[in-house]
Amino acid sequence: MTSRVALDLLGGDAAPDAVLDGALLLADECPDVSVVLVGPEEVVAEGLSARGVAPGTFEVIPATQSVAMDEEPARAVRAKRDATVRVAAKLVRDGRADATVSVGNSGAALAAALFTLGRLPGVTRPAIAVVVPTPNGPVVLVDAGANPDAGPDLLAQFALTGAAYATTLGIDAPRVGLLTIGAEPYKGDELRKAAYDVLAALPVDFAGNVEGHDVVLGGRADVVVTDGFTGNVLLKGVEAALALGGAATIDPDDHSGALLLGVDGIAVLGHGGSSPRAVASCVRLAADAVRGGLLPRLTETLTALVARRREAAGLAT
Amino acid sequence: MITSDRAFEAVRDAVVVVMEVAPESVTRDTRLVTELRCDSIALVEIAEIVEEALPGLAIEDAALDDIDTVGQAVDYIVSRG
Repeated sequence: MTSRVALDLLGGDAAPDAVLDGALLLADECPDVSVVLVGPEEVVAEGLSARGVAPGTFEVIPATQSVAMDEEPARAVRAKRDATVRVAAKLVRDGRADATVSVGNSGAALAAALFTLGRLPGVTRPAIAVVVPTPNGPVVLVDAGANPDAGPDLLAQFALTGAAYATTLGIDAPRVGLLTIGAEPYKGDELRKAAYDVLAALPVDFAGNVEGHDVVLGGRADVVVTDGFTGNVLLKGVEAALALGGAATIDPDDHSGALLLGVDGIAVLGHGGSSPRAVASCVRLAADAVRGGLLPRLTETLTALVARRREAAGLAT
Repeated sequence: MITSDRAFEAVRDAVVVVMEVAPESVTRDTRLVTELRCDSIALVEIAEIVEEALPGLAIEDAALDDIDTVGQAVDYIVSRG
């Protein structure tokens, strides 16, 4: 089955070159993935010509506007109806692509996906989920950067979407941990203390508090929940440490890309500074998600978890 | 012309979807930012959903900075419609 992935050509610090090079890398590695470039046609034509690549190698969907890394995301996406990141999300909504990928302004990618694709049951705000490979199996870190100011209820949403995602990775009964500064209950700041009870009441296997090393070493929780600020700080530290010491076994560029959990479609985000290999990794992640039927499986599990949570809280389902 | 009732329904429905609150909890006095804690993404999303529900309506970005209560949003929409 061929997956069609819409790629935001103008997103990222090194766009369009890194994005185009990433698309070419991916095309070599994964002929069963069809990359649809979303951006100005003349930029694609010039880029392909400069690389000695035949025109027509990629399908191109025209879009002329870009969202800069320093623009206020929601307002920019609203104002720029022809922004590449928005047009890419529309392709998914309209069934013309199976997934969207952007390594540009992550807030804009979130806003575009949210405004265009809508949300899954029980979700008010999508979160970025990164799968961290550890010696004790994968750990899903959520939120890795979308919601810096999350409250306890948002952390509860992340726990449910993260658990639903983990089941699609083959983890049948995922243990969910709350990231903080000590394993003892109620350790941490006011947010963690308040979130502890909320997470403990969820219909998931709550593993209690976990610490930063549990994200790197695994073993204590399959899903680690935190606010987007802390999650992003931790993720970038882990990536830098891997690049320094662990690159012989795990290269962050080859594990680049994160799913936007909670939107009604497959949307993958990457770092603004993504290399071509990192861009290719993001597209591969999106294509794998499509092939594995991630969205329907995640939606089914999440719907059941949300219903159980509402039932336990005495709310109508 | 957009009536006050129709505008209220559109705003209420958008708030219910975006903030996951019960419809009956949304009144004209509901404060979007200080009470429901809508951030900029939520406000823009509410605006987009309301515009979709009320074809022809265009909500100015500046209005998003000024509106706090649902009632103010309804009055703004009626004045624009």
